[in-house]
Amino acid sequence: MSVFLAILWKDLVTEWRSRDRITAMLLFSLLVVVIFHFSLPGGATRDTQATAPGLLWIAYVFSALLGLNRSFSLELENDALSGIALSPVDRGWIFLGKAASNTLILGAAQGVTALVFGLVFEVDLAAIALPLAGVVALGSVGICSVGTLFAAVAVRTRFREVMLPLLLLPLLVPVLLGAVRATAGLLETGALAFEPVQLLLVTDATYLIVSWLVFDFVLDE
Amino acid sequence: MSEPALRAVGLGKRFGRSVALAGLDLELPQGTSLAVLGPNGAGKSTLLRLIAGLARPTSGSLSVAGTPAHRPAARALVGFIGHASLLYSNLTARENLLFAARLQQVGEASLRVEQLLETSGLARVADLPIAGFSRGMAQRLSIARGLVHDPPLLLLDEPFTGLDPRAAAGLAARLASLREAGRTLVLVTHDPKRAAELADRAIVLAAGRVVFERQGIATGAADLERAVLAAGDAAT
Repeated sequence: MSVFLAILWKDLVTEWRSRDRITAMLLFSLLVVVIFHFSLPGGATRDTQATAPGLLWIAYVFSALLGLNRSFSLELENDALSGIALSPVDRGWIFLGKAASNTLILGAAQGVTALVFGLVFEVDLAAIALPLAGVVALGSVGICSVGTLFAAVAVRTRFREVMLPLLLLPLLVPVLLGAVRATAGLLETGALAFEPVQLLLVTDATYLIVSWLVFDFVLDE
Repeated sequence: MSEPALRAVGLGKRFGRSVALAGLDLELPQGTSLAVLGPNGAGKSTLLRLIAGLARPTSGSLSVAGTPAHRPAARALVGFIGHASLLYSNLTARENLLFAARLQQVGEASLRVEQLLETSGLARVADLPIAGFSRGMAQRLSIARGLVHDPPLLLLDEPFTGLDPRAAAGLAARLASLREAGRTLVLVTHDPKRAAELADRAIVLAAGRVVFERQGIATGAADLERAVLAAGDAAT
C-alpha cells in the first residue's frame, strides 16, 4: 500500500511542478471540442446534441492517449523506471499507483473539457453532474487500467507513440460502448441506465485484475 | 553455513537472437567484492540487471542469498546503482530519497533520509531540485538512493563514468568503506585499476562468457587490462 501511495504522490507532485502532461491533454481535448463545434452544422440542434456523448468521449480518449504515453516516457529519464521496478513488493502495487495517478490527471482534464463542452454544445450538464461524474470516473478507470498496462509495454518499443493507440484502442471498445451509452442515456432522460453501467463495471474489474497480474512481467526486460 | 550472496548456475539471457549471457556459473560468498570487466556488449550490465531482478534469465538459475533473483524478497537484499541515476529531476534530493525509501518499505524513512543526506554531504542542497546538480552530486545522491534500505548486496554499473578525479576518488573511498563494513559488492567497470583497487575477485566477460577469472588480492590491474584487451580483440 505504501508503494501505491508513494507512486501516486510522486506522479502528482512531478506533474504539479511541470504541468506538461495536463497542459497537453487539455489543449488537445479542447481543440477537439472546438473543431467538432465548427465542423457540425447548425450549432446546438437536436441532431448535434444526439452525437454529443460520442464527441465528448472521443475528446476524452485522445486526451487519455496523450497522457498515458507521457506517463511512462517520463520514467525513462535517468532510467527511473528501473528504480521503481527494484521495489521489493508485488509489482501490482506499482501498476495501481501509476493507474491511479493517470486516472486523476485525466479526471482533471475531463472536468475542464466537460465544462467547455457543455457551453459550446449548449448541453445542461449541471443537472446531471453527479451521475455524469460517476460514468466518467468508471470510463476513466477502464481506460487508465488497461492504458497504464499498455503504456508500460509500449514505452520500451521504438515507435511508442504509434504503438500505444494500436494496442489500446481495440481494447477500449467495451469501455467506450458502456461510457457513451450511459452518457447518452443521462443526457436524454436524466437517469442512469443500468446496462451500460454494468458493462463498465465488469470491464473495469476485468482490466484491473488482468493488468495487476501481468504487470510484473511487463516491467521485466 | 550461510547461503552465498550470489549464485548463478548456467545463467543465460537472450534478447531475440542476440545472446547476452551464455551459461555463466558464479558463486560469490557474502562480504566479498567482485569486479566484472569486459568489452562493450560482453554482457556485464545484463548480468547486473539479472541480479537486481530487473530481467529474468532465459536459462539457468540465479539466486540472491538463496532466493531466486526475480522474487520481491531478493530485490529487498539488493541495492542498484546504475550508470543512469534513477532519480527524478524535478524532485528535490530529499524527495528523491524519501520516494526511494517508501518504494523500499524502509521504516522511519524520514530519519534514514536525513542520515543519508548527511553522510553524502548533500544536506545543504537537500531541498533543491536535482535538475541543477552536477554529475558528482547526482552520483552521490544516486549512491545514497541505492543504500537507502541498507542492502547487503550492492550492484554498481560503471559508477565512475563522467566523474572528475576528485569525485571519483571520493566515490572509491565510499565504496572501500562499504566493503570494509562487510557489504558484498559487484562492480561493473571498464577501469582495471579501479577493479584491482576495490575488488577481491575479478572476472572478464566476452560474448556472455567468463574468459578470465582471478581470485584474491593478487588480482593486478596489469593482468586485468591484458585480459580485457584480449577479450576485446576476440570479440572483434
